[in-house]
Amino acid sequence: MTTTNQTLFNPTQLVIELDQTTIDRAWKQSQPAGNSTSRWQKYLNQVTLNTFLPWLREEEDSTAKAGLEGANQSDLWSVVNGTSIELDGAKLVLIPTEVEDLSELRVPQEWIDIPELIADYYLAVQVSIDSGYIRVWGYTTHQQLKNKGNFSHGDRTYSLSDEELITDIDVLWVARELCPDEITQAAIAPIDNLADVQAENLIQRLGSQSQVMPRLAVPFTTWAGLIKNPDCRRRLGAARRQEGSKTPVLQWLKEGANRAISEFGWRQIEMSPSTSGARSATVTEPASNTVSEFGLAKKIMIANQPYELRVLPLEEAGSWRFELGCLTPGCVILPGVKLRLLTEDLEAFEGNEDLASEPVEQLFIELYLEAGESLVWQVEPTPDNYQQEVLQF
Amino acid sequence: MLSRQDTVEIFSSFIQFDYDRFSTWAIDVRLRRSMKQSINKIPTESSENFWALYWHQIWEVQPKSLAREHLAAYLQESCFWSSTKTINGFASSQYTVSDCFQVAIARIDKVLKGFDRERGFNLKSYASITFANLIRELLRQKREIDICSDWSLLRKLSQKRLTEALADAGLDSEVIESHILAWNCLKTIYAPERASSTRKLPKPKPETWMAIAKLYNQERTTGLEKPGATATPENIEKWMLICVRAARSHLFPNVTSINQPKPGYDSGEIVDSIVGEVDESLLSDLIADEEIQQRTQQQSDINQFLKSTIEKLKPEEQKLLELYYSLQLKQADIAKELNTQQYTISRKLARARKSLLKALAKWSQETMHISLTSDVLDNISSLLEEWLAGYYGTDL
Repeated sequence: MTTTNQTLFNPTQLVIELDQTTIDRAWKQSQPAGNSTSRWQKYLNQVTLNTFLPWLREEEDSTAKAGLEGANQSDLWSVVNGTSIELDGAKLVLIPTEVEDLSELRVPQEWIDIPELIADYYLAVQVSIDSGYIRVWGYTTHQQLKNKGNFSHGDRTYSLSDEELITDIDVLWVARELCPDEITQAAIAPIDNLADVQAENLIQRLGSQSQVMPRLAVPFTTWAGLIKNPDCRRRLGAARRQEGSKTPVLQWLKEGANRAISEFGWRQIEMSPSTSGARSATVTEPASNTVSEFGLAKKIMIANQPYELRVLPLEEAGSWRFELGCLTPGCVILPGVKLRLLTEDLEAFEGNEDLASEPVEQLFIELYLEAGESLVWQVEPTPDNYQQEVLQF
Repeated sequence: MLSRQDTVEIFSSFIQFDYDRFSTWAIDVRLRRSMKQSINKIPTESSENFWALYWHQIWEVQPKSLAREHLAAYLQESCFWSSTKTINGFASSQYTVSDCFQVAIARIDKVLKGFDRERGFNLKSYASITFANLIRELLRQKREIDICSDWSLLRKLSQKRLTEALADAGLDSEVIESHILAWNCLKTIYAPERASSTRKLPKPKPETWMAIAKLYNQERTTGLEKPGATATPENIEKWMLICVRAARSHLFPNVTSINQPKPGYDSGEIVDSIVGEVDESLLSDLIADEEIQQRTQQQSDINQFLKSTIEKLKPEEQKLLELYYSLQLKQADIAKELNTQQYTISRKLARARKSLLKALAKWSQETMHISLTSDVLDNISSLLEEWLAGYYGTDL
C-alpha cells in the first residue's frame, strides 16, 4: 500500500493512516450488498469507523463506541451515508466521502430531521484509499446545519461551505473538555411511525433493485417513518441484498434476455455436441421445461489470466454441468486451482468441488438441481473483482 | 521584489508578474484616492497595522466595498512570500510562484473570514500561514486530480466545486442543473468494484450509460426546475466530459481579476459617490482610540502568555512548530531530520498545537471572562494561528 509521503498535513486536521488489514477487513465486511454503489458506500463508512473509533478511544474518550450496532449500522449504510458514534455525553456523525476538494460538508437530511438519528456534531471526513489515509478536516453542530445550512432538494442534504465550518478539529476536543454543555441541537418536529401495512408495502417497493435511490423515491416524512425503525431498516436491507445477487439462469436461457445477461457479465453460448454432458447425475422423470441448446458463460480473470466459467444444461432435464476452462489457446489449468459450488447459505455438499491435482484442460462439476434451487460458485484462487453471485435455477 | 513602504501605496497597489517573476507594482487609482481620503479624515498618523484592522472591520460590515480590495493590496507581500516558500517545500512542481499566488489571492475571503475579529491583531501573520496552507492543499489536490482518470475524477469532486467549475466555464444555470443531475445519476449507478486503485476507473460500458440515461430521464421530471428534453446515453457521456474539462481547468485559473488594476480609472474621472465607498458614520465609530489601545494591550498579554507556554513544551515539539509556522519546511527534510514518518510528524505537531490551544482557551476564559463555545474556540484557534505565524515568521 503506497502512501504519498509528500505533503505535510495541516496540524488542525486529523489524519489517520490506513493499513492494508483495515482495508481488507472493511471490504469483506461490506459484502453482501445489493449493488456496487451501496457496497461502496458501506465500504467507505466501514473504513472510517474501523479507523476512527480506535483512535478516538485511545486519544480522547475511552468510552467511545459505535452509535448503532453492527448489522443495524450496516443496513443503514446501504441506503444512507453517515456513521454514528457515541461519546461520553455527545453524539457524533461522521460523513465520509472520496471527494478531494474540501469545499463543503453535505449531510443527508436523515441525520438532521429525524429525532432518533440526530447528533450533536457532524464531522467531514475525506477518505483517500489510494493515498492511504482518512482525514477529518472540519466539523459543525446540528444547530448550524439546520439553521444556516443550505438545503438541497435534489439530494436531500443540508450543506455548509468550508468557510462556515470549524476547520480546526482540536476545537471539538477542547470544547468537549471545557464547555461540554454548549448548545448544539436545534429543535425539530417528531416523525410519525408508519402503520405496519404501509411499512410492509414500502419495503416491498423499495426493496427492489430497480429502485436505485430508495431514499429519494418517496416523500421524506414517509421515508423517515420507515428508516427510523431499526426493524424496518433490517427488513429493507435484507430485501435489497437478496434481489440484487440472484442470477436467474433458467429464465435467461429460456428467454435469451441478452441485455440483462451482459449487465451481469454473462453471455449465451451455443452448445456443441462435446459440451453436452456424457453422464447424467440422476434418472428422473422428464421435466416439463425443455432443455435449451444454449448455456451461459462468464469470463473471469485470475491473476490477470483469462478463464471462463460455463453453466451448461445436460440432456437430462434438471442436470447441469459447471465448467472452468482457460481461454488462452493451448493453456492449461494449473494444479491447485479449484472450482467449488455451495448452497445459497454457503454450505458445502457431496461432490461440490473439483480440484486440479495436475495440469488439466478444464475442471467440472455435474449435478442435478430442483427448480428454484440456488447455488453460489467459487474459484480458488479468488478471481479478480470477484463478487459473490447466487445462481438460481 | 521591492517591498512597499508608503502606507497609501501599501493599500492600493498590486504585484504584476512577468512570467514567474515579480515585475512591478501597479497602482489602482481608485484605491489610492480612497486611501488618501480616509487618511485625511484621521488626524493622528497611524500604522499600517491600524489600517489593516480598520479595513477589516469595514469589510465585515460591507463585504462588497473597497475594503476588500484595500486588504487584497495589503496582503500582496504576504501572499507572495507564502507562495514562494510553499513551492520551495516541494521537490518538483510544475506550478510557478505566479500560479500559486493567483490561486491564493483569489481565496482572500477565506483569510478575511477566518481572522479573529474580536482579538486578532496581525492580519499579515494570519494571512501568511493561511495562504500557505491553502496553496499546499491546492497543490496536493491538483496532483491527485492530474493522475486520475476522467471517471475517477468525477467521483472526487464536491457538488459545490463542480457547480462553480461549470459556471466558470460559462454554462447557464439551467444547463448546469441538468449536468449536475446527470452527474449524480452517474455516481449512483457506476461505482468502483475493487477495494483500492480507485484512481483509474475505466469508462462506463454502453449498458451502464443506458442505465444512467434511463435514471436521468426518470429523475428530471422531479429533480429539475425545467425537465427539459430527454437525454440519450450519448448526451450524458458528452455532458460528463464537459464536466471533467471544466473541473480540470477550474483549479488553477489564469489570472485573478482582483489583481488587475481596474481599467478606465486612470484618467481621474472618478465620481465622488462611487459604489463601494465607505460609509461616513462607520468611520467615526471605528477609530475610537480606546479600542485600538485595548487590542494592543491584549496582544501584549497574549504574547507573554503564549511565549511562556511554548517554552514549557518539549524541544522536539518546539522545533516542529517552528519549522511548520516559519514556512521553512521542506517535507522530505523534516522527516529525515526527525527520523520519523510523515503521519507521526503530523500527529506530534497536532498534539503540540492542541496543548497550546487548550492553554490559551483556559487563559482567555479566566483573564477575559468569556464563556467558551465551539465558535469562540474557533476564534481562539485563529488567534493562535496568527500568533504562531508571527512568532516564528522570518520576514514580514
